[in-house]
Amino acid sequence: MPGIRVQYFRGPVWAKTREQLKKQIVEGNNPITGRPVMQELVENLTKPLTAEEMKTGELQRDTGPATYTGTAAELQELFLEKRYTDFLPIILPTEERVNEMLKATSHDPDEQLGSMNPGSEAGETWTYTVKTAAINAVMAGAKPEYFPVILAIGSAGMTAVNVSDNGFTAGAVINGNIRDEIGLNYDVGAVGPYAHANTTIGRAWGLLSINGGNCGKVGTTYMGTVGNPMNAISIIIAENEENSPWEPFSVRRGRVGSFGGPPANYEKGENVVTLLNGWGILSAANWKVNRWGPDMDYPQIIKDIYDQQSPGLFGTFVVLSPPIADFVRDAGYDTVEKLTQFVTDAGAAKPTPKGGPGFFRMGNNFHVVVTGASNNNYWMIGGMMPSRSIRIDDWR
Amino acid sequence: MKLRGAVIVFLCLGLTSCLAATGSQVNAEPAVSEGKITVFNPMGTPPPIQAKQMAPRLDTLEGKTIYFVNTGYIGTDRLMDVMSDWFKANYPKTNVVIKRSSGGMTGVDKALWEEIGEKGDAAIIGLGH
Repeated sequence: MPGIRVQYFRGPVWAKTREQLKKQIVEGNNPITGRPVMQELVENLTKPLTAEEMKTGELQRDTGPATYTGTAAELQELFLEKRYTDFLPIILPTEERVNEMLKATSHDPDEQLGSMNPGSEAGETWTYTVKTAAINAVMAGAKPEYFPVILAIGSAGMTAVNVSDNGFTAGAVINGNIRDEIGLNYDVGAVGPYAHANTTIGRAWGLLSINGGNCGKVGTTYMGTVGNPMNAISIIIAENEENSPWEPFSVRRGRVGSFGGPPANYEKGENVVTLLNGWGILSAANWKVNRWGPDMDYPQIIKDIYDQQSPGLFGTFVVLSPPIADFVRDAGYDTVEKLTQFVTDAGAAKPTPKGGPGFFRMGNNFHVVVTGASNNNYWMIGGMMPSRSIRIDDWR
Repeated sequence: MKLRGAVIVFLCLGLTSCLAATGSQVNAEPAVSEGKITVFNPMGTPPPIQAKQMAPRLDTLEGKTIYFVNTGYIGTDRLMDVMSDWFKANYPKTNVVIKRSSGGMTGVDKALWEEIGEKGDAAIIGLGH
């Protein structure tokens, strides 16, 4: 019933008293039409169906022609107007460029790569092919050698631009030898847009979500109340395995199983991408418990921040620079599992915050990855939850 | 037996973006000297959607049974209460039934849907939030 009648009124509903709801909604107006909410609601129940509403059968969907022809300037404008872009100029996906991208995989261009909806099963689930991913990878400016990583990410069907009014973001941790093979940065500025591979892979994921999954469209498939600047380019984290005191993130994730699945037994050096979803990450300097001086007890600082964070939704995701990771190891935590036991009080569930959405709580979700340089004692922490891990080499 | 397909209205609770305008228009100024090129459409494929016959609207609410379905998001119970109070005050001959859906915001509560089809004339479903 695509034409089902929807009655709109100003939200949000939660955290309002009965009296507020009565005054603002029941006695209020639809902010779009300016008419009384309840009068419109009654009309929705009683006003006869229009001819359009009585139509049955398969809806005709128009996603446009297979190709567009024009000058480069015209096509840039066209792609912008049709919201095929992230509002930045794109590399125009000519046949030659797309074919070059497709040479980087053995998979058939017409193979369905994945399916995607805007998040939480809200909205439609679209499908896209390997070729769709190649088109969007070209648009993002990615090089063909990055394409297996982009395909691995796309195969999971997780949108980079979640519909939620919370304003979520997405990320990926990449482990294995492919980091050096394609020039992923895991040194200075590792989690930022300071290398071509990190930047364009993150952008390609966003464009594939916008176009392949029809996500991120304000008015239909995106409603972040304030939004999230990390949607501009998804967070791509190549782990600094060489300077980490611990096993690679992928090996640890593989051991526990990906997103509730069976253990995958990834080996060090194996090319694996693990997807993340959440609020994003922020400098630990933001928290007053992050201390400078002789009492830099990093395990306790991490635990203090963890204890402050909401148990709702995503838990805690820590991005340690190598010197901080070494501090933690030297404090007696020679495995991430030991650190996790300490930080989470051996997995004890946090109490549900009063009045909060208790049914979203993820308990003791706590994860650590090591990346970046060793030029200072900075690190990041936030709320991101790992979901699927995927073998990249399956997409070569 | 009442109408199998009761009239259904969804409440869009606070989703300001549902009706917001999209996109921006930019004037194209193509370079005259540029040659034309052909590029691929980057879009994926939407799912096939079969439009179902919607139930006829009610000619009156008098004597009819309207279900208010709370899908469980925070505060929707209070909203359904105050809305049903309004109906009781303004349509005293309308039978108002409030139910909680076990399907949440995106799932289906089959038993409740069957009950509404059997006993209801219309349903107002709160999607949250």
